Amino acid sequence: MPAFLFEVGTEELPASFVASAVRQWRDRVPQSLAEANLSATSVQVFATPRRLALVIEGLPDRQPDRREAVKGPPASAAFKDGQPTKAAEGFARKNGVALSDLELRATDKGEFVFAEVFTAGRSTPDLLQELAPQWVLALEGKRFMRWGDGEFRFPRPIRSLIALWDDQVLPVSLTVRAATETRPAEVLTADRVTTGHRVLHPAPVSIAQATDYVTTLEAASVLVNPDQRQALIIEQTQAAAAQLGGEAEIDPDLLEEVRDLVEFPTAVIGGFDQEFLELPSEVTKTVMVTHQRYFPVHQPGQPDQLLPNFITISNGDPTKAAIIAEGNGRVVRARLSDGQYFYKADIAKPLESYLAKLETVTFQDQLGSMRAKVDRIVSMADRLCHQLQLSADDRDLVNWAALLCKADLVTSMVFEFPELQGIMGEKYARASGEPAAVAVAIGEHYLPKGAGDALPRSQTGRIVALADRLDTLCSLFRIGLLPSGSSDPFALRRAANAVVNIIWDAGWSLNLESLIEPESVDRWAESGMGTQLAEFFVQRFRSLLEDEQGIDYDLALAIVGEPGDRDAALRALYDPADVLQRAQFLQSLRRSGQLANLYATINRASKLATKGDLNFSDLDPAASVKPALFEQPSEQAFYDALVALLPITQATRQTRNYQPLADQLAQAAAVVANFFDGSESVMVMVDDEAVRRNRLNLLGLLRNHARVLGDFGAIVKG
Amino acid sequence: MFFQDAIATLHEFWAGQGCLIGQPYDTEKGAGTKNPHTFLRALGPEPWSVAYVEPCRRPTDGRYGENPNRYQHYYQYQVLIKPSPDNIQEIYLDSLRALGIRPEDHDVRFVEDNWEDASVGAWGVGWEVWLDGMEVTQFTYFQQCGGLDCDPVSIEITYGLERLVMYLQGVSAIADIRWNDRLLYGDVHMQGEIEQCHYNFEASDPEMLFALFGLYEKEALQLIERRLAIPALDFVLKCSHTFNMLDARGVIAVMERTRYIGRIRGMARQVAKLYVERREEMGFPLCRSTAGVLTGV
Repeated sequence: MPAFLFEVGTEELPASFVASAVRQWRDRVPQSLAEANLSATSVQVFATPRRLALVIEGLPDRQPDRREAVKGPPASAAFKDGQPTKAAEGFARKNGVALSDLELRATDKGEFVFAEVFTAGRSTPDLLQELAPQWVLALEGKRFMRWGDGEFRFPRPIRSLIALWDDQVLPVSLTVRAATETRPAEVLTADRVTTGHRVLHPAPVSIAQATDYVTTLEAASVLVNPDQRQALIIEQTQAAAAQLGGEAEIDPDLLEEVRDLVEFPTAVIGGFDQEFLELPSEVTKTVMVTHQRYFPVHQPGQPDQLLPNFITISNGDPTKAAIIAEGNGRVVRARLSDGQYFYKADIAKPLESYLAKLETVTFQDQLGSMRAKVDRIVSMADRLCHQLQLSADDRDLVNWAALLCKADLVTSMVFEFPELQGIMGEKYARASGEPAAVAVAIGEHYLPKGAGDALPRSQTGRIVALADRLDTLCSLFRIGLLPSGSSDPFALRRAANAVVNIIWDAGWSLNLESLIEPESVDRWAESGMGTQLAEFFVQRFRSLLEDEQGIDYDLALAIVGEPGDRDAALRALYDPADVLQRAQFLQSLRRSGQLANLYATINRASKLATKGDLNFSDLDPAASVKPALFEQPSEQAFYDALVALLPITQATRQTRNYQPLADQLAQAAAVVANFFDGSESVMVMVDDEAVRRNRLNLLGLLRNHARVLGDFGAIVKG
Repeated sequence: MFFQDAIATLHEFWAGQGCLIGQPYDTEKGAGTKNPHTFLRALGPEPWSVAYVEPCRRPTDGRYGENPNRYQHYYQYQVLIKPSPDNIQEIYLDSLRALGIRPEDHDVRFVEDNWEDASVGAWGVGWEVWLDGMEVTQFTYFQQCGGLDCDPVSIEITYGLERLVMYLQGVSAIADIRWNDRLLYGDVHMQGEIEQCHYNFEASDPEMLFALFGLYEKEALQLIERRLAIPALDFVLKCSHTFNMLDARGVIAVMERTRYIGRIRGMARQVAKLYVERREEMGFPLCRSTAGVLTGV
């Protein structure tokens, strides 16, 4: 069966786009073929910095023919007195069938005219000629560009196209610029010629057969399969490290990037002077990994003990490795001597002395300088210390760490290597003789850097990390820079997630509500719905419970409350640690099957109770239920169950040990089941207002006791 | 290859590619892009090919000559061709060959690097060219300049002359570059480098600089008003350099910083727009006169 080769030859694409284009084509091309009713035995996607390619094998010569019933006008409109109308004639003509071939068929909406329409399958090459340009146009990425006098947009200029149907060129084309009155269109048309490796095979490469693509280019020193390049890079890098008596540190992101920066990888070993190893290893690694895309080499099993070597993946001629190693060595030596210069200059002064210069760094236009932000962090950290009832000594440490946490931003090293923020702060704090807790906190306060990253471990680090994020959130919300939809330029979701995760990790009982907006209690009351930041946090709780804590969506909702459930939201904000504890508890009830004993009855009671007006805070049946109005024994039993619940619920609110409450609720649920169903059951919504209210209050009280665990109205199953 | 020979070689090479060999512009600036040969000529439909050396001043980059690789004054070799030719990467590699660097002997890489200069509303897409891990050239397809879309698109090639020649000569400090057979780069520039750093960081008079900024801005605006695009650009460049001097002195408060950049960008945009209008009024003269060259006659 025939094969199709399609190659888009480009100038060097950004490595990130190469990887993304491969993913996009792997997803979409098979889908596009299926939509065109074309089967294929395999769809392979290849890519290097200078080309994106597809080899599709096992294609049919044509699409299969299709016979399908096409629905036309209703029978009543198509035939009058047994004769076809204009509508029927038009439908038959449009579908190329004789009037006599029209059929009447019954449908859900009555009788309709149908035509059996035959569509001959189109030739596959014709279809591919239409599809291939669409596959190019459908690619998405950042920062597309124009070139020359074209209008076409792509991440880098497209210089050639290959489209081969077995050994035949298909005239696939891309319009780079549409025709105008004064000049013809500029069109790029496919042939069979592409480029080989820039220096190892400078001559153009002609592909004879679609299925020869990989081997023909391999002969021109281009490895078009990214997986092959990646495997080769790992193998060569490990061998090179072994040759040095060390281990290579192969960062997965760097590996993926390097793979897509070369067409023919060769690991080259380079070196630098031993004296540079005196620099903090983070600096040396940043120079090697981030700036130069090298793999560092360390002593076996000791990632911090670097060797004065690096491994670079060259795209050059393997026989020129010595020249290439020498050149790279010179660059890294220059970079490291910069680093040495910065380091010496920076530690000549204590970290504290950089504070003043923070005035010159903007945090955000309307919010002033980093220096101003630091003052706000200090003040927020102090409120945290107060809530946590820290000793005076611990408070001093927090205060000092908060004050110094951003000072490294204006050191030469961080100015030059911004990714070392925090890391240098910690080093410089130690060099300045600051207490270890302060130095550690400066390093830790940027944690976690993203979802799944390590969290700060020390008390001081946690507090400064919280204070920094809380200040950012409060300040940006105050000036109205809220995230919207997918747009979150200040990464506020990440900041709020960090706050919640740090609190959960520490298990601290902190009143978040009072921290985010001191005056917000009033504002909650005013708006009835709470501040935007409070709501934002409630959303974060819910999404973190579901996405990171493995809590079912309905149980997460039962904890943070349905939208508009101010009572549940406030309770969550008053104690975020309790949010996690209750969510995990409910989840464990579901896992052990205990939730099934509670769910049906309490869910029903909670939903019905919304028709009443009992406050969520009411728990005591003596205050709101009148036994004199009972008509059935089940009501008295319900009342007694509530009386039995009262001390347990009250104790649970203190102890946060939820098991006894769950057990007691299970007992109550069994009793309340008789209130709803069976011989003693009662109607709740009776005409007599006093009786109705009395029964709604019974239900409301049960709901309220259960709400100490969560909102059972939101739970959807046992 | 001496420093001066590298420049002569590049001149000869790019002249051979049909480029006008331009001259540096006589106003302080941070990059060759700000020379009107690039900043203005990249605008509008007229074809343009130019190569020139540009001395650049970046006051904040000064290190009193103590850092071997970082000076507040250095040279760029700048090429601008509009529209960008299809084989520009190959032409560029030939320019390295002319300098005696055989790409076949090295690891030459085009690594994604997009460029933006917010102070003149310009951005483009391109690469840093790495020669055995060293960035020797910046390659940019201009997408916008002075806030206007570039159509056709120009390609800008900027060689870092000091880096390139350090590589060619195998030296590891700018000061050690052999300028010719008698003098080193340091002989020519070290005193200036150190004194300028003292001036930029310590001795300049911020009051005067603030006043100058105001005066230059006023002049630029009144020249824009009178539709004198090229003199107006001079004063925008003076504002830009004065701002850089104030920045080096650390006297621009954070809140003001963005505002100053915004003021410069606002003027740069007006100049760009005015320049294109003026060229249009003249009937875009280069669209006609260079037609023969473009077709290779």
